[in-house]
Amino acid sequence: MVTSMNPAVKRAIGVILALLLIVGIVLAVFWGRLFGGATGGGIIPGPTNLTVVQGVIGSEKKPFFEDPEVKAIFAEKGFDVQIVTAGSRQIATSVDLTGVDFVFPSSAPAAEKIKRETKASTVYAPFYSPMAIATFKPIVQLLQAAGIATQDAAGTWHLDIKAYLAAVAAGTRWSDLPGAAEAYPSSRSVLISSTDIRQSNSAAMYLSMASYVANGDTIVSSPEAQAAVIDQMAALFLEQGFSASSSDAPFEDYLSQGIGSKPMVMVYEAQFLGREMSGDGAITDDMVLMYPDPTVFSKHTVVPLTDNGDTVGQMLATDPRLAKLAALYGFRPADASVFADQLTSHGIAVPPTPVNVVEPPSYETLESMINEISARYDTPAPPASSNIDQ
Amino acid sequence: MRRRLGLSAVIAATALLLTGCIPSVVTEGDGTGLPNDGQTLRILAGSEVKDMVPILEQAASETGVKVAFEYVGTLEGTELVAFGGAAGKYDATWFPNNRYLSLLPGASSAITASVKIMSSPVVLGLSQSVARELGWDATAPTWAELATAASEGKFTYGMTNPAASNSGFSALVAVATALSGTGSALTDADITAVTPQMTSFFSGQKLTAGSSGFLADKFVANPDVVDGIINYESVLMGLDTPEPLTIITPTDGVVTSDYPLTLLSSADASKKPLFDTLTDWLTTKKVQSEIVEQTNRRPGVPGVDTGSTFPPGILFETPFPNTLDVANTLISTYLESVRSPAQTLFVLDTSGSMEGDRIANLQQALKNLAGADESTAGGFAAFRSRERVTLIPFNYGPETPIVIEVPDGDKTQALSEIRDQADSLFADGGTAIYDSLEAAYRLALTQQKERPDTFVSIVLMTDGENTDGATESDFEQFYQSLGAGKTKIATYVVLFGDANVEELTRVATLTGGKVFDALNGDLAGAFQEIRGYQ
Repeated sequence: MVTSMNPAVKRAIGVILALLLIVGIVLAVFWGRLFGGATGGGIIPGPTNLTVVQGVIGSEKKPFFEDPEVKAIFAEKGFDVQIVTAGSRQIATSVDLTGVDFVFPSSAPAAEKIKRETKASTVYAPFYSPMAIATFKPIVQLLQAAGIATQDAAGTWHLDIKAYLAAVAAGTRWSDLPGAAEAYPSSRSVLISSTDIRQSNSAAMYLSMASYVANGDTIVSSPEAQAAVIDQMAALFLEQGFSASSSDAPFEDYLSQGIGSKPMVMVYEAQFLGREMSGDGAITDDMVLMYPDPTVFSKHTVVPLTDNGDTVGQMLATDPRLAKLAALYGFRPADASVFADQLTSHGIAVPPTPVNVVEPPSYETLESMINEISARYDTPAPPASSNIDQ
Repeated sequence: MRRRLGLSAVIAATALLLTGCIPSVVTEGDGTGLPNDGQTLRILAGSEVKDMVPILEQAASETGVKVAFEYVGTLEGTELVAFGGAAGKYDATWFPNNRYLSLLPGASSAITASVKIMSSPVVLGLSQSVARELGWDATAPTWAELATAASEGKFTYGMTNPAASNSGFSALVAVATALSGTGSALTDADITAVTPQMTSFFSGQKLTAGSSGFLADKFVANPDVVDGIINYESVLMGLDTPEPLTIITPTDGVVTSDYPLTLLSSADASKKPLFDTLTDWLTTKKVQSEIVEQTNRRPGVPGVDTGSTFPPGILFETPFPNTLDVANTLISTYLESVRSPAQTLFVLDTSGSMEGDRIANLQQALKNLAGADESTAGGFAAFRSRERVTLIPFNYGPETPIVIEVPDGDKTQALSEIRDQADSLFADGGTAIYDSLEAAYRLALTQQKERPDTFVSIVLMTDGENTDGATESDFEQFYQSLGAGKTKIATYVVLFGDANVEELTRVATLTGGKVFDALNGDLAGAFQEIRGYQ
């Protein structure tokens, strides 16, 4: 046993202990930084006595609501906005809205239905996104040679939906198109990939524009008109085979698996532009954002269910900082210059606002068409679940 | 799903005993459930992801998230998830894809989030010389060209059973869709129309297996049996065959697996952060590059530079069926009318020790294969049209074989006869394992000679030590003395009751078979799994 200690040794031990303490603190801080965010979650910046405001939103707006700057702006008003994602169809039909302050579906028809049912006095449409087609250079060139796509003077690509529908109806394969042997020798049918029409809003937007064109450039509004176009519409979805339920999935396949897997994907313009602005290198030089002619706007619409929900809606519609942040995620706020500035500051060419835009059918007609197409799948549509990204 | 006895399981179990805590990566549970704590994600996985273990060990040391795996066939595991059987036992799944899952009613509410980690297409790996001869080294063929060449006997191949394994199912979808020539997703009508062409293509299939890994091992061990195998590109690139393989990617489309790591809705809320941490880590560019390098899979996220690891050119993706009916019709058409028939010999221990529950268990297991199990998976495991089923019960020696022919068409009569035969089994006498197995081999060789274009295999089920007649070494000598064809007749051993694990594992290995564990009493499960290999 050591009963007494040399002072030099004592000092040395003291220094070592002090050093260990410092290392310990540094490690703890480092550890916290490294893993705190991943495993802790739910840390709210700013005042801790925030009022929780509950929103049910379309999944494509989740990254926006999770942005720390967005959270900070809501926190100024004393709000902690907590979100659950759900498909717009689900929000309109099956999600339990008890205790929910606002819903934020990505389509006007769904918002209209909720407004009617909840007797909400007002709605806010703070931003929108045109439907677009994520595709590739060799594909647009093939489509151009076949008279299905055109490039305007400004360099923007457009898909002629009428010519496209005719090509699909004729069972056209990629390999049938002039120049395909070199560019894209695939025996697959010329067909846009979309999400599952039974579950996802972006597919419903695709159905909206296609049914308009198939119905002689008129919005489908009667059972007769629906009956006349439904076979052609059903083929657009059934012939794709398996399609995912969330709008992220086909776009991620487009990005990671490329042209062989997804030559054309129906997306929200915001998905493509937001990804481009994120600067992660996923959007490469041979990728092209093409606009369907006509297109449909996905109007992200807030339906407030409580006073706090109303305040959130107002903030989204009026706070210029939130508009700027929405533009960062590729959405188009009411003020077009905010969108243009955001793209320009990221060195991305500003796509012109589409001019040939049609309105989706009424909620009831759209639902009726979707139900008729759904019936042609043999698997019953999955039960709604509010926590699945649709 | 049963644990398979493997080195990894032994190592994992040893590690548990030695340290008293859960190791960073556990492969296979011990039948009573996977270890579970606040840092462990319990994953029901396809055996395909076994090669991810080293990367997951790294994940555990870098992120603190540990993983415990239980392996199961994609279709079987998928049904378990969709029908609620995975809830509480597992937190997540990791199958080659979730497409079949999404076709099952109830599946989408069973899962809550999924992240695609990596991808690999299912393609054909063919001996270089054969590929050259057919000109496929220079110009990749279509599936129709493959079908023509196969029917002309120009090449043979192995493929897994599509009812048991995802790679076989993926290939089946690709070939049927391509042969249908519609350019769109397959329909029921297409399947009927392309059945003759599919039969041409599958006339070249001379090797079957219940898992992609077993198929690859079998091909490496017996490269002369077939000219190539259909498997994941990643597996084929990693194979060590005497002759290099040429990877053939049919130009009219392949089905790619995208390995989504998927969180179950039933998982405890505390598992979500683990899931997020692990999937974030796995999708970083650094880890993605390691996955490419170590497993030969393509990246699951964009922007990862893979250099010249993969052949250039566009990988055309085949549309996947979007209805359960089409998927199931495709599988049953393959099993019942397209593929070569099976000849299956069951060597069944009916010694005195089998009396009581054990013999009842055996009777039920046989009856399940003869139509008593009405589930989808049970249906796919049932005896098939054109199959010759031979039952050889034994005690002091083999009894007279009972041979039942399942006709092409209505199977009712034959299946009912098999059920009656199962009911008439009774337990008495000794355990002459090797005399009986030798008798089975003699009969199997005769049957093979009678019908050369069939898959012949033997199932040996015993619950105890060999007590009568030939010994293990006698059998080994007998087996070595057999002539040509011996490498094609495997013995799949079912361990039951007090069976001698080591000795029977040697028998399975000697014959190119595999051991299936029913020591926990689940004989029906083991029999069903073996059907994937027949």
